Amino acid sequence: MDNASVVVSRPAIRWGAVSRSLRGGLKGGEYPWALAFVLPYAAVFLAFVAYPVVYGLWMGSETSLYRELFDDPIYQKSVVNTVLYLAFGVNVKMFLALLLSGFFMRPGWWVKALLLVFVLPWAVPQISTFISIHWMLNGEWGFLNNVLFKLFHIEGPSWLNERWMALSAVIVSHIWKWTPFWTLILLAGRMAIPMEIRDSARVDGATGVRGFVHITVPLLANLYLICTLLSTIFLLGDFNAVNFVSGGGPANTTHVLATLGIRNAFEIAQPRLGVAAVMSALPLVIPLVIVLMRKLRTAEVQL
Amino acid sequence: MAYLSRRSVLRGSLALAAAHPFAGPHIARAAATTASMWFSQGFVQDEDLSLRKAVVDYEKASGNKIELSITPFAPNRQKIIAALTSGVVPDIMGSDPAEILQIYAWQDRWVDVSDVVETQRAQFSDTALQSAQAYNSVTKKRGTYGVPLRAAVVPCHIWRPLVEKAGLKVEDIPKTWDAYFDFFKKVQDNLRKQGERKVYGLGFQVTANGVDPYNLFMAFLVGYGGQDIVTKDGKLHLDDPKVKQAAIKAAAYLGGAYRDGYVPPSAINWNDADDNNAYHAKLMVMDVDGTLSTEVAVKEKHPDWYFKDMVTHGIGYPNDNAGKPVPSIVGLTTGLIPKGAKNVTVAKEFLRHFIQPKVIGEFIELGLGRWLPVMPSLAKSPFWQDPKDPHLRGYIQQGLLGPTIPDHYVFNPAMAEVRNQHVFSMPMIEVAREGTKPEAAVEKAFKRIEEIFAKYKIA
Repeated sequence: MDNASVVVSRPAIRWGAVSRSLRGGLKGGEYPWALAFVLPYAAVFLAFVAYPVVYGLWMGSETSLYRELFDDPIYQKSVVNTVLYLAFGVNVKMFLALLLSGFFMRPGWWVKALLLVFVLPWAVPQISTFISIHWMLNGEWGFLNNVLFKLFHIEGPSWLNERWMALSAVIVSHIWKWTPFWTLILLAGRMAIPMEIRDSARVDGATGVRGFVHITVPLLANLYLICTLLSTIFLLGDFNAVNFVSGGGPANTTHVLATLGIRNAFEIAQPRLGVAAVMSALPLVIPLVIVLMRKLRTAEVQL
Repeated sequence: MAYLSRRSVLRGSLALAAAHPFAGPHIARAAATTASMWFSQGFVQDEDLSLRKAVVDYEKASGNKIELSITPFAPNRQKIIAALTSGVVPDIMGSDPAEILQIYAWQDRWVDVSDVVETQRAQFSDTALQSAQAYNSVTKKRGTYGVPLRAAVVPCHIWRPLVEKAGLKVEDIPKTWDAYFDFFKKVQDNLRKQGERKVYGLGFQVTANGVDPYNLFMAFLVGYGGQDIVTKDGKLHLDDPKVKQAAIKAAAYLGGAYRDGYVPPSAINWNDADDNNAYHAKLMVMDVDGTLSTEVAVKEKHPDWYFKDMVTHGIGYPNDNAGKPVPSIVGLTTGLIPKGAKNVTVAKEFLRHFIQPKVIGEFIELGLGRWLPVMPSLAKSPFWQDPKDPHLRGYIQQGLLGPTIPDHYVFNPAMAEVRNQHVFSMPMIEVAREGTKPEAAVEKAFKRIEEIFAKYKIA
C-alpha cells in the first residue's frame, strides 16, 4: 500500500470555540477590562511568589550541596532538633490551647479580664521578647537565677550552656509566646458550636468530661487538626525563637533548619548551602501542605 | 473641541510614558553623577554622623551625589551577600565583615582599586596595604581590591576598682603572656575570699557564636608564637611544630581557665554583645574584645568609668612568654566596588576623596576613636595623643604604631571559612566543657582546617 494513500482524518479545530473558551465566556470590551484587573495580581504573583520559589529551587539544585550538607555534623543535629522542636513545640502548645480555650469559655467578667492578660505574650513584639528571655536565663546575672537565689538560696544552672536545656528553653519560649494565639482560635471554634447541641447533650447527661469527649472533641477535631498542620508549617520556618533565645548554641548544637539556613547563607557566606538546608525540609513541608489543602476542602461540613 | 475619552486618556498616558526617557535627558545626566554606597551602622551614633559628614563634604566639593544607606552590622552583611548573589549591587560597599573582601575576591567579584590606593600609598601602613589585597582564583593573581579606611585590633579591658578591691594594683600586672592572664585568676581568688560570689577573673569568649571567639583564639595563637599558621603565599602550615604547639597551648589555656572556674559559665554560649554586657555589669575583671567599643559606649553616660575605672592600655598589651612584643592582628574595613556597579567613576572618585588624610582622619576621630586610622601620620593628631584620655594613646600604639600583622584570611580566604565556621571554637569548648585533652581537640580542628583549605588551592 502506498503510504501517501493513508489519510488520517482529524477533527476540524473550531477556533471560534477555542477563543471563546480562552476568553472565559467574556464578550467584546469585557475582555480587556478583565485582563487589566487580573494582570497586576498575576505580575505580583510571578514577581514575589513564583520567581523567588523557582530561584530558590535553582539555587539549591546542585546535588553536591546536599552531599556537603549531609556530611556536616551540625546539619545532622539540626534535623534532630527540628523534629523535636516540631513534636513538642506544636503538640504541647496545641493541647494546652485546647484545654485553655475550654477554661476561657466559662462565664464571668474576671475570665474575660484574665483572657486579656493571657493574650499579652502573643501581642508583644517577638524579638525583644526572646532577647529578654535569653538574658533572663543567663546563669550569672539572669533574672531567673537571681530569684532562685534570693528566695531559696539555690544556685541555678547556666540554662543555655547545655544542648537539651537550651533546646528546652527554646521550646518553652515558643509555647509561651504562641499558646495564646491558638487558644483564641480554638476558643472561636468552641463558641461556634451551637448551643442547641450542648443543651441537648446536657439533657442526655453528657456534662463535664463526657460533654468534652462526645461533643467538643468531635466537633473541634477538624479545626484542631488544621491548626496543628498550620502551626507545624509556621514552626518549620521559625527563626526567631532559636536565634534569639539560644543563638543556636552552645557550640551550634541547638540550630534548627531555619537558623542553619541563615547561618550557612550569611555567616559562612555560602547562600546556596543555606538554601539547600532550607530545601531539605521540603519532603516534610509538601505533604503537610497537601494534607492541609484536603482538610480545608472537607472543613466545609464541619467546624 | 476635542473631548477626553477613556481610550484617549489611556493612549495619551502610554505615549507620555514611552516618551519619558527621551523627554528627560537632564535626569540621565544627574544619574551619571550619582553613586550608591552601603555602610554598617556604628556602635555609637557619632560614627554614623561622621560618615554622613564626609559624604556631604564630598557632595559639596564635587557636585556629585552619594546615596548613602547605613544598616546595622548583621543585616548589612546579609544585604551584601544577597546583592553579590543576585548581581544587583551598589557602587560602593564597606567591607563589613572585613573578610568579605577576600571571600568574594576569590570569585573575581570586585573591581581593582589599585589606582585609588596608589594616590595615598605612601601614607598607609604596611599592614593596611597588605590587608587590602586578596587572591583572585580567576586571574590566578593577588590584587588590590579594597581601599583601606579604618582598622581594629583586640585590646584587653580591665576594671581597676575590682583589681584594687582584691588588694592588688593595675601597675603590678606582669608583662608576659601567661603571667599577665594568671594575674586575673589571682584577682578572682582574692575577691572570692571577700565573699564576691559572681565575679570572674577572665572574660574569655569560649563560644561558637559571632566573631569574638576566633579573634580571641588567634590572639592567643599568635601570643604563643603560632602566627605562621598561614604564610603570605597562602600556604597552610599545620605541620609546623611551632604552630601546633601554639594551638595546643591556646586551647589549653583558654579552655582550662573556663574549666577551672575563672571564666563566667555562660561564656560557653555568649554572642558578640554578651561579653560587653557582662563586662559592663562587672561580672568579670577583664575582657579581651575587639575595638574600644566597650569604653566608647559608656563615655557619655558613665564618664567616671571611661576616665577612671576602665583600663585598656596603661600597662600595654602583654609580651610573649619570652618577653618579646606580640603583634596584634588587624581587622581592616575597606571600601569595595563590586563588579556590576553602575557608576565606577564616581565610586572611585569618592573613595579617592575619602582617603585623603584630613578627610579620613576626621571621619575616624568624629567616631570617638572606636576605630583606628590606617595612616601612621594620623596617630600624631591631638585627638590620639590627648594626655587626658586614658585609652586612645595606648590603643593607637597597639593597633597602628606597634607591631601588627594582617588577619590570616588575607593570605588565603579558606581562613575566612575557618573563622566563620568557628573551627577554633571547638578545641576551646571541648577542653572547657568535656575536659578533652588539648592535643586531641586541636588535632580534630586541624583536620577540619585541612578539609577547608583543600577547597582553596592557591597557585
